[in-house]
Amino acid sequence: MFLEQLINGVTLGSIYAIVALGYTLVFGVLDIINMAHGEIFMFGAFVGMLIVSKAGAPLPVAFLGAVVVTAAMGLLLERFALRPLRGRPGASHLASLISTIGVSILLENIAHKIFGSGNHLFETSFAEIRFEVGPVTIYLVQVVILLISLLLMTGLALWLARTRAGKALRATAENLETAGLLGVDTNRMITATVVIASAMGGVAGVLVGMAFNYINNQIGLSMGLKGLAIIIFGGMGSVYGAMAGGLILGLSETFVVAYGSSGYRDAIAFVAIIVILLIKPQGLFGQAHAEARR
Amino acid sequence: MEWLNPYHLQVASFMLINAILGVSIFITLSTGQLSLGNAGFMSIGAYAAALLSTQHQVPIPVGILAGSLLAGAVGILVGIPSLRLSGVYLAIATLGFGEVLRAVLINWESLTGGAVGVAAIPQMGRVILSMARDGGFSPESIGLRNNQFISLSVFLVLLLCTLLSAAFFLRLSRTRVGRAYTAIKLDESAAEAAGIPVTYYKVLAFSQGALLSGFAGALFAHTTSFVSPGDFTYHRAVEILVFAVFGGSEHLLGPVFGAAFLTLLPEALRAISEYRYILYGILLVLMMVFRPQGVIDPALLRRFRRSPKETAA
Repeated sequence: MFLEQLINGVTLGSIYAIVALGYTLVFGVLDIINMAHGEIFMFGAFVGMLIVSKAGAPLPVAFLGAVVVTAAMGLLLERFALRPLRGRPGASHLASLISTIGVSILLENIAHKIFGSGNHLFETSFAEIRFEVGPVTIYLVQVVILLISLLLMTGLALWLARTRAGKALRATAENLETAGLLGVDTNRMITATVVIASAMGGVAGVLVGMAFNYINNQIGLSMGLKGLAIIIFGGMGSVYGAMAGGLILGLSETFVVAYGSSGYRDAIAFVAIIVILLIKPQGLFGQAHAEARR
Repeated sequence: MEWLNPYHLQVASFMLINAILGVSIFITLSTGQLSLGNAGFMSIGAYAAALLSTQHQVPIPVGILAGSLLAGAVGILVGIPSLRLSGVYLAIATLGFGEVLRAVLINWESLTGGAVGVAAIPQMGRVILSMARDGGFSPESIGLRNNQFISLSVFLVLLLCTLLSAAFFLRLSRTRVGRAYTAIKLDESAAEAAGIPVTYYKVLAFSQGALLSGFAGALFAHTTSFVSPGDFTYHRAVEILVFAVFGGSEHLLGPVFGAAFLTLLPEALRAISEYRYILYGILLVLMMVFRPQGVIDPALLRRFRRSPKETAA
């Protein structure tokens, strides 16, 4: 029982971590909270649902489709809702928050128009395949979700740490102007960041569909709010903080539901951030200067 | 008197309640603090007023007052620890406060009725009507139908409340307190160096905003006669913020205008109602691209003030 819950928690947590990574990448580079990320994630889930359940295509096609669509959405988001605000005199730091909120309202209602408000079944061909390891039941879906999340997180961490583009991105995150002076094409790096973050949201969307077997047009909001909570908890802009925060949230939600009350499940994330903000306002993995930077 | 359509009056009433919410977020913003907890404070005021009047038969004005004060008191409690936070941290922590509060409202069924909410809250207009009838006054004598009279009286009460709160805080901005708020917003360290008790004023602004949100919530409860946790979601919190950012957060009239306009807009777009929220989203993006300071900024207000003189000269 405990082990099964542990596996459930880690599975859920790894999805949370990927959603949170989408927020943290954009915040790290742009100092912007992308309020539309939850909705982009939701579109990833819907595209995956269409491909898997409606067209009956295999899962890798669903991931590909979701990534293409959400990456394109990220591109449009950056081009039309973020870039025009950048470097404008008189623009408050709230402007980009509001414009991404605008995009999220837009996307939420487009999804509502296309898909309605009901639940959509997300059928994977191997949903019922499971193994018995001693007393513990493990579903193949959980293994696949874990593997994909791990792959994605390792890939991202390696890309950021080892490649030239990753270095340019970190430089841009450190200081936009200096990176620009040193020859980094910052506009391109910013676009790349938003596109990558959005595509990760798309992958997370398909993973959520696999994990829960159904999706609706509310998952963008609930997952988005949790992602926000996680990046605060883990420390804004911190990649490892997002991963750890996601895991911690997934585990604590699973265990609270298993051994306590399910009613407060969605509040856990926020209780956690209120507590962490009071003890360590810069977040679990945040640096002290992050706070002064806003 | 046919133009006194209860539907129009109801839209106008919501414009006024939202205008009060706009003022409430303006107050916290005027010290440079971005709070997304106003939907939560609103729910405190709404539930307190609703429960006092349905379960304890407390008179409506007393319930509204109690609801507002309770929200203000919680505002102090939340405000003190929140002072350590700023910018997006404060925004998300206060958003979290609202979400936790909503989870409590949903789960504390014995008190709050759970997800169903509280129904049959005395409606202001009906109470005023029955009082008027007891006093021997009949709406027909001034040519109004009952439902017209009810909606009209609600509208007038809300108008009075809105004008009073707006006037109070407009006055406040020209006092010592208001100047302290501005100083803190412009530069917190400089304000502190100049001897302004920053902590005191930030908590004051935070709890004033909470109190006013609670006030709006209590009025809301007695206007719709029904409240549920669904009225105080993330969407409400964002909506209140958008009032301020759309209308402009440099002057008190900005959020008030933003609230009125953005409440009216979806109704005006009812003809194309299927797409109105899509348009609403696009509008927000366009606003930020072309006028990030909001519709009303000090420059615009100065132009309005100057123009009568110029025409006179």
